[in-house]
Amino acid sequence: MSRPRVPVKTGYFTVPDDPNEPPRLLGTRCEDCDEHFFPRRAICAKCLSERTVDVLLSPRGTLYSYTFVHFPLFGSMRVEHVGYGVGQVDLPEGPRVQLPLAGKQEEYKVGMPLEAELEPLREQDGQDVVIIRFRPVAS
Amino acid sequence: MKDVAVLGVGMHRFGMLPDKSNADMGREAGMAALRDAGLSFRDVQAAYIGYIFAPVMSGARTLKEFGLTGIPMQHVENASATGSAAFREACFAVASGRHDVVMVLGFDKMTAMIQSSSQNTDPAWLEDSILPAGFFAMWATRRMHERGTKADQLAAIAAKNWNNGALNPMSQRQAGEPVTAEKVLASRMVAWPLTAMMSCPIGDGAACAIVGRPEIARRLHPGRPLVRVLASELQTERYERGHLFIGPVVGPARMSIDTSRAAYAEAGLGPEDMDLVQVHDAFAIEELEYYELLGLCREGEAETCIERGDFALGGRVPVSTDGGLIARGHPGGPTGLAQIWETTLQLRGEAGKRQVDNARVGLCHMMGGGSVCAIHILARD
Repeated sequence: MSRPRVPVKTGYFTVPDDPNEPPRLLGTRCEDCDEHFFPRRAICAKCLSERTVDVLLSPRGTLYSYTFVHFPLFGSMRVEHVGYGVGQVDLPEGPRVQLPLAGKQEEYKVGMPLEAELEPLREQDGQDVVIIRFRPVAS
Repeated sequence: MKDVAVLGVGMHRFGMLPDKSNADMGREAGMAALRDAGLSFRDVQAAYIGYIFAPVMSGARTLKEFGLTGIPMQHVENASATGSAAFREACFAVASGRHDVVMVLGFDKMTAMIQSSSQNTDPAWLEDSILPAGFFAMWATRRMHERGTKADQLAAIAAKNWNNGALNPMSQRQAGEPVTAEKVLASRMVAWPLTAMMSCPIGDGAACAIVGRPEIARRLHPGRPLVRVLASELQTERYERGHLFIGPVVGPARMSIDTSRAAYAEAGLGPEDMDLVQVHDAFAIEELEYYELLGLCREGEAETCIERGDFALGGRVPVSTDGGLIARGHPGGPTGLAQIWETTLQLRGEAGKRQVDNARVGLCHMMGGGSVCAIHILARD
């Protein structure tokens, strides 16, 4: 039985009870112009309407660009992560998001489909503190 | 911009300078600028001071180094564009008619900032996982995908800037021998495809400009070319689909297009009139993109122009003539003022071994995270 999971920071993504269910980014939709945003915001950045509502964004997207950074991830706590990936992912609703990537550089190519997943960052008070990241869609 | 001149410029060399305080570097740069202008601090009527990493009040405290004369002063911060933003406010203070002589001072100690942040070992969130190097590396990956750009073309830009920096006594990086693209490519990988030599260093330093009414420059230096500020533009982001709201981003490419077009219009000039250009080349891919975004070449032609040497000293329009952020350095607050220092010397014909022949008009471009784009166009009479 795995430990309960909590997000590293609240208000950005869901942590489903079912470990097989992908996490969702917490977004905003404008009721006047239908533009979607990540992260959540009160006022539409496009039409300036205040009629915005909370939505869950798709857990899948398309890789717009990426890199692998040859620095430790998350400060000195995770020096074993030298060579971690970050990517910009276009979600079907419109937002482009920047998030860490799982795995190795050779697995990635601009334009490929990706899927969100949760990754334990550290253990705290008997819980797993998790981050959200993307990985190639399992074929 | 009406009737604003750069009366004098001064710098403290950029570098890793753990034994130098902001006050010491600021005083040395400021006194150099006053000497260059032929003025004393008694003549300065207002001051705009920019830094990013120093504590609150550092501007007011550094100003006391020059003497306590009661003048108004203002702290200005706009991330990497801090010095450019402070310069802009000083120009407005002169253009408004309120002040005749204004000091703009930028300083920073990035070494101190790094020391304090490395003590914070608490795991971080998204923003911290995507460093500026990673962000701009993604510009490079996308450009490679769309245009077939090669890493050796990015390396050629960096090598140019390293070699320009070797001609600038104020440059942080001073290569002892000519730097080749091969050497740049072989340096440590920072964020694929960007290597350490394609990236600006961490550093400390200070730079100062004295701006004021043109007749003061004419009176004090009758034989010296007069350097005027023709345009000052600063813009924030406009929303477009795909905008990134999280991460250390400098905003959509369109910012540099829009801001430069506004600056060209204000100056009554076009990109073809620029004799030299300074850009926010924190990473080599940035300089490549800015060639096109500032209109120095057509879209999709940057790679060809690099290989032809268009932007090297002696080329069609030299870019980052002082070494740019990559070689001259990028401490933060003083960086935009180092561009003004370089452009002013070039327009006066005082840039020594890196002098651009018959330089009449120069453009200074800075991006500040968050984000803003700041552009100034300077010209000699």
